[in-house]
Amino acid sequence: MSGVSIDHLVSIVVLFVAVLLFIGLFNQTLSVGVDYQRNTSTAKECGDLLDTMLLTTGIPPQGAPNAFGLQDPLLTQYQLSPFSLMRLDSSTETPVSYQGLTYSAITTSPHNYLLYPYTDMINYSTALALLGINGTYGFQLSLTPTVNVSIAQTSPSTGPLSLSMHVTGTGFPLAYADVNYLLIPVLLNTNYPDFETIANQTGTVETNSVGSASIAFSNFSLNPNWTYAFVAYAYLDGITGIGYYEPQSSPVGNQSSIVPFLDPLSTKDVTLANSYDVPPTSTKGNILYYNTTFILESQNYAIQETLLGSSNSSGSVTSGTGNSPIISMGSYTPGILVIAYDNSGNSGVVMMPWGFSSLGFSMTFGGTPLNHGWVATDLRQVQINGVSYQAKLSLWSVQGYQESG
Amino acid sequence: MMRTVEVLLVIFLLGAVYVTTSSYINLPSPSSVSPVDLNQLAYTTLQELDSRYDLSSAAFQTNNLTAWGNLQIALAASLPPNMVYNLTVYNVNTASNGAPLYSSVASISNAANLVSSDASSYLEASSNVTYISTPQQISTNGVPVTLYILDCSDTNGWWTTGYTPSSLAQTVYSLLSPYFKTTIMVQNTSQLNQLLNGQSLQGGSVNNAVIINTCGEAVPIPTNFSSSSGLNYTQGWDPLANGGQGSYAMYDYTLGKITQLYNWTWVSIVGYPFYYVTNTGSLSNSQNNFGIYGMNMVEGYGLSAFLEGLDNQPYSYTGSSTGSPGVVYLTSQVQSLCNYYGLYPSISQTSTRALPASITTQYNLVVTNSLFSTTSPYNPGAVYRHLNGTNYQGGFFALGMARIPDIRLAALGILCDYQPARYGSLYTAAGSNRLVVLQLGIVGGG
Repeated sequence: MSGVSIDHLVSIVVLFVAVLLFIGLFNQTLSVGVDYQRNTSTAKECGDLLDTMLLTTGIPPQGAPNAFGLQDPLLTQYQLSPFSLMRLDSSTETPVSYQGLTYSAITTSPHNYLLYPYTDMINYSTALALLGINGTYGFQLSLTPTVNVSIAQTSPSTGPLSLSMHVTGTGFPLAYADVNYLLIPVLLNTNYPDFETIANQTGTVETNSVGSASIAFSNFSLNPNWTYAFVAYAYLDGITGIGYYEPQSSPVGNQSSIVPFLDPLSTKDVTLANSYDVPPTSTKGNILYYNTTFILESQNYAIQETLLGSSNSSGSVTSGTGNSPIISMGSYTPGILVIAYDNSGNSGVVMMPWGFSSLGFSMTFGGTPLNHGWVATDLRQVQINGVSYQAKLSLWSVQGYQESG
Repeated sequence: MMRTVEVLLVIFLLGAVYVTTSSYINLPSPSSVSPVDLNQLAYTTLQELDSRYDLSSAAFQTNNLTAWGNLQIALAASLPPNMVYNLTVYNVNTASNGAPLYSSVASISNAANLVSSDASSYLEASSNVTYISTPQQISTNGVPVTLYILDCSDTNGWWTTGYTPSSLAQTVYSLLSPYFKTTIMVQNTSQLNQLLNGQSLQGGSVNNAVIINTCGEAVPIPTNFSSSSGLNYTQGWDPLANGGQGSYAMYDYTLGKITQLYNWTWVSIVGYPFYYVTNTGSLSNSQNNFGIYGMNMVEGYGLSAFLEGLDNQPYSYTGSSTGSPGVVYLTSQVQSLCNYYGLYPSISQTSTRALPASITTQYNLVVTNSLFSTTSPYNPGAVYRHLNGTNYQGGFFALGMARIPDIRLAALGILCDYQPARYGSLYTAAGSNRLVVLQLGIVGGG
């Protein structure tokens, strides 16, 4: 073989290897650029979808939705309907079964629930179809109160009641904010728990420089015959939050309590169940005698107790099928349903929001962003029945491409 | 060997091209690939701050340190902690050539400078020129009037078909409470009893109050007036009436006297006023001939007894009558006020229980507001004020509509009678506009 031929072969092989190597290198650079374009496109779609959800109406209190829109039909801009949101299937809480029906659960404590039947819910797949992104994108929408109002009882179990509050925003404490409050004393040693009226049960306090405030009720002393519910609205320059507190049932243990289950919103009904039936147990729970009242907030932040006017506003709940009273909420006026129950020391107070925002619940709806290569997020400030929330949308592509790298 | 050298040269050139290209291609940071839309976040934040006109108020009070301090606290509390911001207020004036002139008035910020930021603006008009929804609160001689809504749990409604008194009470609360400094839901007949005895409820004023009865043709009666053991039984029960069978018309007479005494405006939302009294406790065995228990029929004697009480006439068990003019229409003035107050009931209604116009002379009444064009000799819906000399002392608003009640008419009647003012709009006033710009940036990632 001549030297020229060897030179030719070596040069061809070296050139071939070099071309392959550079094709890979250039391809990697191009792939990163394409990924960038795709991710930017996903991010733009995220903002557009979030605005679509928040600025269109579509989910009515009753009937099938014609679009996945959460805006309050009576209001404008980023103001959401508290009742549309109640029909969304929470993706983070474990569903609850009761009397053959499954309920989506949003729960903040063992005593405060928002339980809605699956039969009338808007689930994730329906939302994807309504938004027209089925097979293209996946999303998760979360709604979180902007202001957190935490309340604790600072007085002992007997003696005059005093409560402390701490109000914080997402960034900093809400200092020098006005807090309107309402105390609902409940007398227990009667046939049915009785909601009492006392002097100075409503009022306003101002938080200090670190967002804290305290309230003392010198004319309301705790003893085993009394319990109470407490609700507070904190507001400063348009930023509004809500907090609530009710003492834990005493004594703590395997005691019955009342669990309110929402019927489909069109009925405006709430079914009261004995906690021994959720889930059903072989043990029968105590008969619980209950009474209900309703709290609503006016436009000037004042909180007021009013009556439901329902035929079963007081009564009894026993465990077992066919023993569940139904109370009617009467109208689509957002507020808080307060249920006090009692039987021989097995007593307590349960609160349920009528309208998603009434107790400042947060919710996550949609799929999970885990195991997706790129997740775009966007954020908006919204109001739900006057309560400040942040709506965050996470969006990802489900079309199967992978990130290069 | 020459070809190998040439290939090496080609490889060198390719390498140089790759290095050169790579040095020019700067891939963006993740925050640039998928940025939080700061523009929209700023816009929604401004909207939220202005949801109760606090931002508008602060923008025109730049020397008010408290207002600006509160604005900064609210702004900081509503944004994620890694956000930096700059909020600047500009005064909007007009240059000599007609172009807008923006001059900075005040600014708040939590950062020296905002790199990689975005901004949104919001144009605020002064409260002097803005149409705002906060209305003037109703008062009499400068003293705020209290609104009492009878939402008594121990009563039933009649001719409120399809509604419960409580649901009507909640609706009228939302319609009218912005116009009253204090609005109180009277939750049971015990609280009504307190009110009838001149005791204030929840800090409300008893004098000059407006009382809305949401039970329709029935009127709540406290046990003190309806039970034979009650302290006020003699003021509630007339044992000699109705051929000796007795009647609660006396209670309606007492209501009229109290309405006159405290200068109340009593509102009957539908049908024949005072036709029944209702208390599901003390009258649990009494029904109105239609199987509705907790209800006692007083018939038309209730209305005449109330009017006698209102006019301070001696009580007499006398019947009354109403007329049925049929379809009636809102007056043009009321239709105009519908736009003013944003309440739009149908302009045509059916009246089957209209009060006769003759009651004005019989009981010294003056019609201060008529919702409907008069269909002589009846007034389908009107506010009557009782003349005591030259002053008004006590009032009565009767809506003689057929069921089902449209509670908006009751709210409209009260508003048309008191006519609380609202701010007008004047966007052309000089110096009346300010531009608020919120600039947001992200630190520490994003």
